[in-house]
Amino acid sequence: MTGRSSATASTAPATLQLERVTKRFRSPEGSDVLAVDDVTLELPGGSFVTLLGPSGCGKTTTLRMIAGFETPSSGRILLDGSDLARLTPDKRGMGMVFQSYALFPHLTVFDNVAYGVRLRGHSAREMRAIVERTLDLVNLRGLGQRRPSELSGGQQQRVALARAMAIEPRVLLFDEPLSNLDAKLRLSLRGEIRRIQQQLGTTSVYVTHDQAEAMALSDLVVVMNAGRVEQAGHPDVVYRRPMTRFVADFIGRANFVDGTVLGVGPQTLDVSLFGIVVSVPAAPGHRAGSEATVVLRPELVRVGQAGLRARVLASTFLGPLVEYELAVGDQVLLAVDSDWMSHGLHAVGDEIDWSFIPEHTYALPPVVVSG
Amino acid sequence: MPRGRRSIDPARIVVSTTSGAVPPHSIAAARPRRRAIDPAIAIALVVAVAFVLIAIVWPVLMVVGTALSADAIPIFQRYLRPPQNQILINTVVLGVVVATVGTAIAFLFAFVQVRVPAPRPIKTTLHVLALLPIVSPPFALAIAAISLFGRSGIITRDLLGLRVDIYGLPGLTLVMSLSFFPVAYVSLAGLMRSLDPALDEAAANLGSSRWRVFRTVTLPLLLPGMASGFLLLFVEALADLGNPLVLGGNFTVLSSRLYIAIIGEYNMLSGSVLAVLLLVPSLIVYFVHRYYAERASVVSVTGKPTGRLTEVTGRPARYALLGAAMAVAGLITLLYLTILLGSFTKLLGVDNSFTLKNYEAVLFGYGIQAVQDTTLLASIATPLAGLLGIIIAFLVVRGRFIGRGGLDFGTMLGVAVPGTIFGIGYLMAFNVPTQIAGFTVFPKLTGGAAVLGGALAILMVFVVRSAPGGLRAGTASLQQIDPSIEEASVSLGANQTQTFRKIVLPLIKPAFLSGLIYSFARSMTAISAIIFLTTPQTRIMTQQILNETDAARYGNAYAYCVILILIVLAAMGLLTVLVGSTVRSDRNPSVELAANR
Repeated sequence: MTGRSSATASTAPATLQLERVTKRFRSPEGSDVLAVDDVTLELPGGSFVTLLGPSGCGKTTTLRMIAGFETPSSGRILLDGSDLARLTPDKRGMGMVFQSYALFPHLTVFDNVAYGVRLRGHSAREMRAIVERTLDLVNLRGLGQRRPSELSGGQQQRVALARAMAIEPRVLLFDEPLSNLDAKLRLSLRGEIRRIQQQLGTTSVYVTHDQAEAMALSDLVVVMNAGRVEQAGHPDVVYRRPMTRFVADFIGRANFVDGTVLGVGPQTLDVSLFGIVVSVPAAPGHRAGSEATVVLRPELVRVGQAGLRARVLASTFLGPLVEYELAVGDQVLLAVDSDWMSHGLHAVGDEIDWSFIPEHTYALPPVVVSG
Repeated sequence: MPRGRRSIDPARIVVSTTSGAVPPHSIAAARPRRRAIDPAIAIALVVAVAFVLIAIVWPVLMVVGTALSADAIPIFQRYLRPPQNQILINTVVLGVVVATVGTAIAFLFAFVQVRVPAPRPIKTTLHVLALLPIVSPPFALAIAAISLFGRSGIITRDLLGLRVDIYGLPGLTLVMSLSFFPVAYVSLAGLMRSLDPALDEAAANLGSSRWRVFRTVTLPLLLPGMASGFLLLFVEALADLGNPLVLGGNFTVLSSRLYIAIIGEYNMLSGSVLAVLLLVPSLIVYFVHRYYAERASVVSVTGKPTGRLTEVTGRPARYALLGAAMAVAGLITLLYLTILLGSFTKLLGVDNSFTLKNYEAVLFGYGIQAVQDTTLLASIATPLAGLLGIIIAFLVVRGRFIGRGGLDFGTMLGVAVPGTIFGIGYLMAFNVPTQIAGFTVFPKLTGGAAVLGGALAILMVFVVRSAPGGLRAGTASLQQIDPSIEEASVSLGANQTQTFRKIVLPLIKPAFLSGLIYSFARSMTAISAIIFLTTPQTRIMTQQILNETDAARYGNAYAYCVILILIVLAAMGLLTVLVGSTVRSDRNPSVELAANR
C-alpha cells in the first residue's frame, strides 16, 4: 500500500448510473442503426463492472458515451448523481485505457504518465512524486525515460494503465485493453489490473468480448447483445442462472436440452429429460405441459458415472481435459471430462455410461413471444 | 477463484430493457444534446472557410461568371471551330505527349531506384538529379534547351551543324517532361517500395517467369499509381505557362493564348472564355487523378514487406534500364550545367568569355529588388500556407461538421485550377476595392495603386497554390494516427487546443516540414498566376527571368535561376534545422509518412 491509496480513500468511490441510454448512428446507407438500446445500469462505487458481448453489441459505444466521446441520442449518464451531459470529455476526470493503448509516441514513458497530471496544477515536485508512485504501482520503475516504441506490448499496456490512473480518475474505463496481447501475458496482466483496482478502489468499467476475462475480473458482469442488456449480475450467478439462451451460450459453453414440463414447483420444475423425469432449478413462468429448455454445462456431464448411456461421436484430447461429442438418443451433447485418468479414454464408437446432477442444471425462462 | 467478494450488493444493479413508466427527467433527456464546439476549432474553421471562399472560390467564380455571359458565346464558338480550335487541339496533344513521356521517365527512374541493382552512389545521383527540377523555376530547362539545341544552339549548330527548330512541340515535350516527371517519380517509387515482396514470390512459386511476374503482378498493381501520375502530369502540362511562353514559338496553347488575351489585348471576356476552356479539362482530370491516387494508396497498404523485393538480375535488362536512366540523367545534368556555366558567361554560344556581370546585375543592380521581394513574400507565405494546410487537414480528417468534403475540395482547387486562371481571376475580383454600403471591406489588391504595391495579392496566390500540399501531407499523416491517441489526451483533461499543440502537431511534424518545404519551393518557382499580378513596386524573380529571356539577356536569366535554386536549397536546409531538429528518428513508424506532394 502506498500513500496514494489513502489519498484516494479520502473521497468515496464514485457511483455511475446510466438511465435509459440510447445511441442511434446513421449508417453509410442512410438508415438508423440502434447501437445502444435503452440501457439502464447502476454501478456502485468501487465496483468493477464488465460490459461483455460480441462485437457490435454496443459495449464500446456505451463506454465511449461514459467517457464523453459519443453523445447519447437520449437518456442520461450520472456520476454521483449529477448529469454528465454538459461536460466535455476533458472535464469528466475519467481515466481511459484504450485497446490500442494510444500512447503518445513522441513522449517518454514518464511524460506519457505525467501528461494528465501536468494539466491538474500540481507543483513539479508533486507531479514527479505522483508519476513515480504510479510507475511503481504498475512495476515500471526505472523505465520512465524509455519511449513507448522501446517497450514490449505488456509494458506498453502498463504505461497506458499508469497514465489513466495517474490523474486519480473518478472512474477507470477499459476498452478491451488486453486484446492485443498473447494468451500468457493476458492472464498475468488480468490479475494485475484486478490487484491494482482493488488497491485503489476506483469504480471501473471494463469492456471485453472474452467471457473468461469478464468472470475473472468483475464484481458485476453486464452481458450485452444487439445494443441491449441481456443480463447483469455476479459472474457466478450469470454462469449458473443465465436468463437467456444467448447468455448461457456466450458465458462458457452450454448444451441446450428440451424437455416437457410435467410439474411446476417453487423455483423448480419436473421435466422429462433423456427419458427420465428430473427436478431441475428453474426460472419462474413455466407451465405444466409446455416445453422447457434446460442448460447443461459440458463439465457437468459426468462421463463414466452409471445412469445413462451414450455413444461417442468424436473425442478431442487436450491434456488436462478430454472433450467428447456424445449421442444420447437423437440429442448430441458436448462433454468435458477432467478426470479421464481415473476412468480412461474413450474411442469413437464406444458405448459409455454417463450421468448428471439435476440440481446443477437450470431451466431457462420460457421465451415470451411479444406481440 | 481466490477473489474477495466485497460488499457490493447485486440487488443494487438495476437493469431495465423494457419500456416501463417514463421517469420525469427523461422527457428532457430524450432530446439529443449537442456538445459545445471548442472555440479554437470554431475560429480555425471560420478562418479556413473564409480563406477558401475569398482567395480561391470567388476569383474562380468571377472568371466562370464572365465566361457565362451571352457575349461570350461567339468567342466560345470561335475557339471550338476551325481554325481557332487548333489551340485546344495543341493543348491536349501537348498534355498527352508530355504526360506519356514524363510518366515513362518517372517509371524508369522509380524502377531503377527500387528494382535494379546498382552501386549506391549511382542511385543517389539519379535520385538527386530527378528531384532537381522541383527546386528550380519551371522554365529554367527551356532556356538552357534554347542555348543547347536552338537555332544557334551549341550542340545543334556548333557541334552538329544542324539548323533545327526546337521551338514548338518537340522542345516543349523535352523540357516539360523533364521538368514535371519528378512528382510522378516520387509517388511511383514510394508505391513500388510498398509492394509486398510476398506477392512476387507467390507468383514465382506458382511457376511464373520473371517477366511474367512483372507483367501479371507488378505492373497491374502499379497501374493506378501510373494512371495517377499520368493524369497529374497532364494537368501540369495543361496549366503550364512559362515553358509555352519561352519555347512555344508558333505552337500556341490555351495558357499562352490566354496570357496574350489579357496582357496583350486587355480582353477580359476572351481571357475568361479561354480560362473556362482550360479549367474544365483541368478540373476533371485533376479529380480523376485524385481518385486514382487514393486507389494507389490503398494498394500500398498491403502490410509490411516480409522479404526482399525481387531485383532485375538479367544482364541485358539491367544494363538497358540503367543505361536509359543514366542517359536521361545525363541530359538533365547537361541542361543544369548549361544554366550554371551560362550564368558566368557573357552570352553562351556567342561570346563564351567569363564574366561576373550577370550576378552583379542580379545581386547588386536592378535585379536585387526581385530577389528580395520574392524571398520575403515566399517566406511569409510558407508558414501561413503550411499552418493553414495542416489546420484544414485536421478539420477535414477529425472534424465532425457537415461540409468537410467541401472544405477539402475548395482548398484543393488551389492546385487543381491552373495558375493562369487565378491570375485573371484576381485581376477581376480584386482590381477594385470591394465595398458594402459604402464601406471598403476589401481593398484594391491588383494593378496600379493596389494595396502594398500588389504584394498582398501575390502573397494570397502563394498561399492558395501552396496550402494544398500541406493539406495532402497533413491528411495522409493524420489518417495514420490512431484517433484514440487524441482521445487519450482529451480523457486525461486536455482540451482540443492543448491536444492539437501537444500531441497532434509533434506527431505530424515530418508532414508539416515537408509541407513547408513544398510551400517555399512552390512559391519561389511560381509563375503562371504571378505573371498577371506583378507591379513595378513588387517584382518576382520568375517574372524577371522571363523578361530577361525575352530580351535575350540569357546570362542574367541564368544568374537568376542559379540564385533562385540556391535560395530554395538554403531554405530547405534552414527549415529542416528549425522544424526538423526535434523530429526523432526512432518514432513510432505508424505515424511516419513520405513527403506527399
